[in-house]
Amino acid sequence: MNLLVVLFLLVGVFFFLGGAIGIIRMPGFYTRLHPAGILDTMGILLMVTGIALYNLIPFSFDSLLLSIKIFLIVFFVFLSSPTATHSIVDAGMRAGLRHWTNKKRRG
Amino acid sequence: MKFLGFIVVCLTGALLLYGTGDFSNWGDPNSPASLHLSNEYIERALEETQVPNLVTAVLADYRGFDTMFETAVIFCAGLACFLLLRDFREKKQRFYRHIPTGVILHVKNSKKVLPVGREFEHIDKDWVPSDLIIKTVCRILVPFIQIYAMYVVAHGDFSPGGGFQGGVIFGSSLILIAISYDLKILVRRIKEKVFGIFAAVGVLIYVGIAALCMPMGGNFLDYSKLAPLLPGDPHHVRALGMLGVEIGVGIAVTAVMVIIYINIVSEGRLEEGL
Repeated sequence: MNLLVVLFLLVGVFFFLGGAIGIIRMPGFYTRLHPAGILDTMGILLMVTGIALYNLIPFSFDSLLLSIKIFLIVFFVFLSSPTATHSIVDAGMRAGLRHWTNKKRRG
Repeated sequence: MKFLGFIVVCLTGALLLYGTGDFSNWGDPNSPASLHLSNEYIERALEETQVPNLVTAVLADYRGFDTMFETAVIFCAGLACFLLLRDFREKKQRFYRHIPTGVILHVKNSKKVLPVGREFEHIDKDWVPSDLIIKTVCRILVPFIQIYAMYVVAHGDFSPGGGFQGGVIFGSSLILIAISYDLKILVRRIKEKVFGIFAAVGVLIYVGIAALCMPMGGNFLDYSKLAPLLPGDPHHVRALGMLGVEIGVGIAVTAVMVIIYINIVSEGRLEEGL
């Protein structure tokens, strides 16, 4: 069981790392939002799953309740994080920012 | 005049810097605060106030005057924002959309007001309509944020939190309504006057609870004298008094946050903003 928890946490860290590298390495505004929005949400899902599982190990009603409460964090992040990304992209589009294109290949 | 002001600012700054020379070093175990005060709080706070959270006990009970005037400072900030920015003049121009055709009308005569309803729709010049996704998600999230804010206020004497934090969270939920829908909807649902009254009522609750201790035979802010008025264990009366005070702080902070926001984003007109 502990192995499973460690696996979840490690995969979650992997996603967060990928998101962080993606924000730095991606070209352009919209492509940078892509790792920031998606990988962070995935990373938080996996890490919180790991924490909730770890909390469940001496199984009782209280620990189950606490795990459900921990999962509520994921619920709210799943609601708010894509919406925030969406609104940032929306603001960028309305302000007239063009998306990034590879000038070398085109020209 | 500017030069004079510069000199005054420099002199005051120099005086303050000179004053810091007398402070004891950071974390010095021999400073007066560490020798007497902290130990006194740590040893006796739980037994005297029955509040498990030491920070709240110090903030709302031992240093109640400090917190009371902090609340008054926040009230003054809201008041100053209102007095400086609020603009009661009629707006010179309005924009309307004729709903069946989608034609946008620009009315320059400030006297002429078109009836807003099925035929005409009021639109803002600077404000862009937020789309369905943002509106829906914010509508789902706002009640949860408000419940969380009340939890932070009510649980202030057991865990980190309290009136200031809870008030800011509650205010941010109202500001979220103004951002995701528009400012008019917030101001129409909760009138500006109501926010002003609540800001004053919050401070009044704090001062009222503090002053109520005096006719009960105690000092100003001596919550333990409120015991006959409150049900329950008389040992917990200080915790209950702090809870009442925190609620007052929360109400004041909420109202002031919203007042500052709505006045700044709309340049004091409260008609359209952002």
